[in-house]
Parts: sequence; structure tokens; C-alpha cells
Amino acid sequence: MRNFLILSAMAVAATLAPSRAALAQEATKPGAPPDLSGVWLVEKFQPRLFPSGGAPFTPWAETKFKATDLQTNDPNLACLPMGVPRFMIAVPYPMEILQMPTRIVIIHEGPQVMRQVYMNRQHPKDLDPSYSGDAIGKWEGDTLVVDTIGFNDKTWLDGGGLPHSEALHVVERIRRVDHDTLVDDITVEDPMAYTKPLTNRQVYKLKPGWEIQEYVCEENNKYSYQAK
Amino acid sequence: MRTSIRKSPVIFPSAVVLLVLSLAGSAYAHHGFVSWFDMSRSITVKGTVTSFDWTNPHSYIYFDVKDDKGAVQKWSAELGAVAMLARAGWRKDTLKPGDEITLIGNPAKDAKPLMHLDKIVLANGQELATAL
Repeated sequence: MRNFLILSAMAVAATLAPSRAALAQEATKPGAPPDLSGVWLVEKFQPRLFPSGGAPFTPWAETKFKATDLQTNDPNLACLPMGVPRFMIAVPYPMEILQMPTRIVIIHEGPQVMRQVYMNRQHPKDLDPSYSGDAIGKWEGDTLVVDTIGFNDKTWLDGGGLPHSEALHVVERIRRVDHDTLVDDITVEDPMAYTKPLTNRQVYKLKPGWEIQEYVCEENNKYSYQAK
Repeated sequence: MRTSIRKSPVIFPSAVVLLVLSLAGSAYAHHGFVSWFDMSRSITVKGTVTSFDWTNPHSYIYFDVKDDKGAVQKWSAELGAVAMLARAGWRKDTLKPGDEITLIGNPAKDAKPLMHLDKIVLANGQELATAL
């Protein structure tokens, strides 16, 4: 699966050259969406997104949270994908945004995951739950609003073990506030797990000259994953 | 096959390890670093390199530490991913067996001879950090 994702990302990148040129022209037009393209790195690594002790758990989520053990059952110990929003906030490796008019692709170096945001469609019905979910986007002025559903429940919201269900719904408002700074305001809703929405902000800094590198988590992983 | 480096019993070599309270921690924790290492404390350890794993998801330095009686203790230091280390100036041949090094980082919570590396001082005095 990982090789497929990497190859897919490379294929997308290969097809982007004319699109990026076209976008650059489009970006000069009044009213054109801002260009988010580039390699970005989190300004501050946030292993815990939300207050682990004080999260508004439902009884179902509280039971799951009490069973978490960072040394044994963090899915990341098995190099499994981190899911959303964890890999948008709690990953100390860069991501590259490739922007097309109808699709925005985010390639994460650390998890080696390609996240696709479709700009020209709605969520399909009867989604098969997945690690990254189904993401659709739209522009509200200079803000990219990304709506993601269709998650499986195999990931944590953060590195602190906050659980979620397949009802997870993540809305991100992403803005390039200046040339070097990207801000992602994240709202998490999961009525099965939390009694009210959780919010968080991540700030990214542009890394000119950086290229996304290979990262094979399984190569020399000394951590042991001991639970489902 | 996955192996664990966390199971060998250890006596902390107090003569060569300087414990320093620090709030700095590491900006680049991953794979449960915060659960394995005490990120609120910093230690300085001097040793001799035995091997260097230039690998993902983390790189490792294996080194020997002599206590004040001359007994050798096997230590290891955990670093970040190859690409991020390269961006911070590291290379696959930065270390070779026999190199005398000084390592600054966070100790294992269970007092085993493991550390999460923040910075290294090479034999020639060059310093390399593990985070940008």
C-alpha cells in the first residue's frame, strides 16, 4: 500500500507541472484562490492536541482512553498511518502541498501518506472507512475549508491517545497568512466520543529548497505494538 | 524482525553522567518518545562509538561508556529520521566506530542506558543538533 501511495504521489507530482504553471497565471488574477503550494513544517510539534485529562469524553470514549498505553498500543508504534488530525499536527516532518484547481494533494514525509482534497465533488455515499477519510474542499475567500469524514476508528486524534469513532468529522480552515506562514484551524466533532467539539490550531512555516524525502518507517522500527 | 533495546538491565554510571534539570526538552518527539524518555531532564554522557544506524524511522548511536572503575557499559542514543537529520547537517558517515563523543539528551524514564539525543559534540569539537 505504501509503495502504491508513493508512486501515486509521484504520478500526481509529474502531472502537476503544467497545472502549477497555469495556477501561477491564475493566481495573478483578482479573486483567484491563494497558492498554498510548497513544503511546510510544523512550527511547534504538538504531541497532544487537546487536553488529555480534561477532554469532554463520552463514557464510551473515556473507557477507551483509560485503556490507552503510549508504550504499547499507539498505532504509530506499528508504523500505521496516523490519520487526521494527528498527522496534520503531531508529525515533526514536513509536508508538501501540491495544488490544482480541482484537487489539492498533501504529501507527508513522515508517515509517507498522501492526502487528497477534492475540490469539485461532494462526499460519496456509503464510504468505506479509511485512515485518511474522504476530504473535500472549497474556498471561502482566502481560506481553504477542508471537510473530512469516512474515517476508520483505528487511529488516535493525537499522540496522547485521544480516541475517536467512525463518526469522526474534521473541518479544517487553512490560510496562508503571509508568504512563509500557513495556519490550520481544526475542529473535531465526534458525538460518539466527545460531548462537544474540540478545536486546535497548527502553524506551519515554509521551507524553501526542501524536498520530500523517503521515509520507510518499517526499516528499523524498534518499537513494539502490542494491542489492536 | 523487530528487536528491543529496552530490556537489558543496567546500572546508571553516575561518574560519567551529569544530570541537569532542563525545561528545554525536544521539539522533535516521535514514536512515543515522551513515554519512554524523561523530556524534562537533560543528561550529558561521554562515550566511544561502536556503531551508528543511519535508518528510519529513527537513527541510533551505540556507544561504550566507562564508569569511574573502568567498567564498560553499553549505551544507545535514539535520534530522529534520516531526512531531518540530514537537514540538520548529519551524514551517514558522521560517526564511525572509535569516535569519542559527548551526547546531550534526555534520559530513559526507567534508568536504562538509553537516551533521546538532542545534541552531540564530535571529537573535533563540532556540534550537531538533532532538531532544526
